[in-house]
Amino acid sequence: MQELGLIFRALLRNKVGALLISLQIALTLTIMVNAIFMMQQRSEQMLRPSGLDEANIFYLSNTVFAQDYNQQVYLEDDLALLRQTDGVVDAIQINAIPMSGGGWSMGLQTEAGEGKDSTGVAVYMVDDHAINTMGLELLAGENFSQTDIEWRASSQNNWPAKTIITKAMALALFPDDWQSALGQTAYINQAEPMQITGIVKSLQAPWNGWSGVERSMLVPYKMETTGGRFMIRTEAGRRDELMPIIEKALSESNKGRIIRRVTTMDDTRERSYRAHNAVNKILTSVIAVLTLITGFGIVGLAMFSINRRTKQIGTRRALGATRGQIISFFMIENLMISSFGVLLGVGGAIGLNIWLVSTFSMAPITPGLIIMGVIVLYLVGQVAVLYPARKAAKISPAIATRTA
Amino acid sequence: MFTYYLRLAWISIIKHWGLSLVMITAIGLGIGASMTTVTVNYLMSANPIPHKSSQLYNVQLDSWDVNEPYNDDGSPPEQLTYGDGTYLMNAKKAFRQNIQAQANAVIEPEGDDALPFMVTARANSADFFTMFDVPFLYGSGWDASSDDNKQQVVVLNNETNQRVFGGENSVGKNIKIGGNYFKVVGVIDYWDPKPRFYDISTGAFNDSEEIFVPFSMIAEEKIGRSGNTNCWKPSGDGFQAFLNSECVWLQFWVELPNAQAKEEYMSFLGAYVEQQKALGRFERPINNRLNNVMEWLEQQQVVADDAIMMMTMSFMFLLVCLLNTVGLLLAKFIGKAPEIGLRQALGASRRTLFAQYIIESACIGIAGGLLGLVFAWLGLQGIASLYGDMLKGLTGLDSTMIVSAIGLAILTSIFAGLYPTWRACNVQPSQQLKSQ
Amino acid sequence: MLTMNNISKVFQTDEVQTHALRDFHLKVNEGDFISVTGPSGSGKTTFLNIAGLLENFTSGTFMLDDIDISKLNDRDRSKTRNEKIGFIFQSFNLIPDLNLYDNVDVPLRYQGLNAKERKKRIVHHLEMVGLGSRMKHLPSQLSGGQQQRVAIARALATNPRFLLADEPTGNLDTQMAKSVMTLLEEINQQGTTIIMVTHDDDLANRATRKIQIKDGRVSELDVVRDNAEVNATEQAIA
Repeated sequence: MQELGLIFRALLRNKVGALLISLQIALTLTIMVNAIFMMQQRSEQMLRPSGLDEANIFYLSNTVFAQDYNQQVYLEDDLALLRQTDGVVDAIQINAIPMSGGGWSMGLQTEAGEGKDSTGVAVYMVDDHAINTMGLELLAGENFSQTDIEWRASSQNNWPAKTIITKAMALALFPDDWQSALGQTAYINQAEPMQITGIVKSLQAPWNGWSGVERSMLVPYKMETTGGRFMIRTEAGRRDELMPIIEKALSESNKGRIIRRVTTMDDTRERSYRAHNAVNKILTSVIAVLTLITGFGIVGLAMFSINRRTKQIGTRRALGATRGQIISFFMIENLMISSFGVLLGVGGAIGLNIWLVSTFSMAPITPGLIIMGVIVLYLVGQVAVLYPARKAAKISPAIATRTA
Repeated sequence: MFTYYLRLAWISIIKHWGLSLVMITAIGLGIGASMTTVTVNYLMSANPIPHKSSQLYNVQLDSWDVNEPYNDDGSPPEQLTYGDGTYLMNAKKAFRQNIQAQANAVIEPEGDDALPFMVTARANSADFFTMFDVPFLYGSGWDASSDDNKQQVVVLNNETNQRVFGGENSVGKNIKIGGNYFKVVGVIDYWDPKPRFYDISTGAFNDSEEIFVPFSMIAEEKIGRSGNTNCWKPSGDGFQAFLNSECVWLQFWVELPNAQAKEEYMSFLGAYVEQQKALGRFERPINNRLNNVMEWLEQQQVVADDAIMMMTMSFMFLLVCLLNTVGLLLAKFIGKAPEIGLRQALGASRRTLFAQYIIESACIGIAGGLLGLVFAWLGLQGIASLYGDMLKGLTGLDSTMIVSAIGLAILTSIFAGLYPTWRACNVQPSQQLKSQ
Repeated sequence: MLTMNNISKVFQTDEVQTHALRDFHLKVNEGDFISVTGPSGSGKTTFLNIAGLLENFTSGTFMLDDIDISKLNDRDRSKTRNEKIGFIFQSFNLIPDLNLYDNVDVPLRYQGLNAKERKKRIVHHLEMVGLGSRMKHLPSQLSGGQQQRVAIARALATNPRFLLADEPTGNLDTQMAKSVMTLLEEINQQGTTIIMVTHDDDLANRATRKIQIKDGRVSELDVVRDNAEVNATEQAIA
């Protein structure tokens, strides 16, 4: 190996330049590691399945304004129309849409009474076609039967006797064994009993930022409401074609209401995670640009130091240094600068993470990510210094004898 | 001499264009990134009603479950129950008061081919318009007697007036809303406070509503409520039971002209809660709050976490760019040591040289700042397209931001230039002149 | 006009003291053309740097036009350099980024002259050295002799009372060296005092006074004019 001590001493003679590069590397590492960590967390959230057959589902709002509107009759008419339309797999009336951000939550508890622990759960009011329409996977128990479905008036506050819950909700209520939830009674509104007659694999709540996003329940209700929603599942690939057809059919079948916000689940997912997506894209560009700037900074300073040492380098060549030795001189020098920067950067990354954890209740960072960041920055440094180092190696030994 | 230095800077920047380009781009990117995030933060934390924000107070009472606080930090619910709100309204103890909730409605315009459409609505009291300085194009808000007499009156925004009445003065005309006829009393000129401070329960940056009706229309069931509702105690069946419940779903604002009025109102609230405690409600400790507009926005953390995080990162980014510029300027100026030595020999004092090189740094800064503005504009366009209507109205560059961007760029580059310039001016002339 | 008494210059590095000049005495009169010779490391350059106010001395007195140089601050020293002293260097030291016009302009700028006066002087001096037609050229486009002429034009543009030249012909071939030398002589005849460091005895002998520095001390030598050489040069010019 070359004279490590010599390289180090040469480095100390240009402390400030080396320090500036080190600090840049340190800050880049700090930002990079935390930004990637934030991106990972968001990506994980975005990858969670909603439990729905998203690609083939759309929904629409049915806003009633007519005064003499027979809710029960018209709802049955609408559902019949939807379910008979060619290409529609199934359809339901529903009170809230997963990932949409707006919905209803209640607390369920395993013991009746005030002050007992209750677990928050998203409420979906649906009929017996829900599992088929949403494309849910029933893990245990059975679907609602037609006779389970009750009518719900607009400010009614009692609850039906049965419910289907998600596996995550079952696990929250019965932490030992989710399967044991089947057939059990849970209490809603502190004291009203509901029997758990089915468990579905997954169905997300409407709020993707909620810690209990996997906890949902299906309640067998048909709603008398002026602001209902229909969810429609189509045969694969026919969603876009059916959306305008169904909007038109519903609008024309009854003039006492407005059909609006005909929206696909894909759009809902996009909108729901738009902020996440945006942050990820912004962070990606920040990391890319930051790495480039640091890289160019290294190139610039290396070029400068080579220009200044032209004669010295020529003399070294004249005294017998090979091109490889000149290149490795600069690469080793860069390795030393990077090491100092990376050392600071690891501290910075952890420091920033501690601040993020305490201010924005983020999760603490993983060591693997820091190691990865360290490796990346070493590589960036080595790649950046390669061009100047090769240029240095091309300096002619003859320069040593030139005076002016 | 200043123009001479400018010319020298220009020659130097052009001669070393590669280095200059890297520096200008670095500063530009740093400034651009910072300005983008600062703009979003700045607009998010803007004062939507500067001249009276300190006199408008949001009212909070803690009517929540004795077993569990509403918020983990112990702060009371952001909204009030119907019972508490109407009591405060009827008491009229403040200079002005406004009870309000979000709603929506279907408007059925006259004419056979006109289609019914949905609008966002606000149910509020007469004082809403005077408290919040709502500008009117035609007519005005309704008066308190309309509230008391439950009159079916409505204030439209300009767009709704365009849509239904073709933009003419519609005051006095009737409009069918949710199947009932309402009389138009006023048309609002453009009004869109950001943040929408008076109701941030469904998002702080929503647009202001399209129509405004008296709050009593909700209890009369003439208009459908929307927005957030939170309950902790089961309520009975029916709408009346809901109104009587412990559910919180409405906002209450008061205008209190001075500290004394605020104190008096606070003690009024205290007395009310004591009285309710005697009736078995308000089992939690007294936790009444009056926050003025800016306190309220601050407390409700209207500025999104993401925005703060990104601003922090973009400032670190700027710091990297700054270090980069320091390094490159240092390289450049030290490379100019022979010229500096010569200039000293020809009569330049350190002060003169300092001025020359600081001006060169500042020129790079101005160029970087201008480029930064372009980047900031692009960044904001990017953010606007990534977020869509979620950040509507929060991605515009105003003159304040443009001036601060350039100011920041110049400051940054002068700061970056300080050390390199200092080093350059300390060149020993005699060592530079002998040979090259 | 210039008096140095007991000047010494000590370079202090860690624990070693190096005396570059010791007890240096020199009196320069208005109109002198002094050549300074001496072996490498004798203190020639140090002397020139001190005389040109580029470097401080350790002890002694240095009077320039009755001004005690040791009492001047950086600004006044810069001003004095600018107004009274012109420099010519072995390696010309033109600013590569600036064209000839701008190079000559540099000291005039620091003198704070108005644009008209500066232009007059720049044009005049560049024409005087025979480069009036190449004012927009960059130094790199000129030969060494031409570059040195520009440097001379720059040194004279401020109308200095006295000119310091450090091996002004060191980087030039004989022919060019002679013509630069002739130029310096003409300048001297017009009244400018010149101190020139050189290692070339022939050139040194063309000065009116010749001093030698050895081990940091000065000794005055007689000028030995080689008349044949002078005649040859004069013929060449004619």
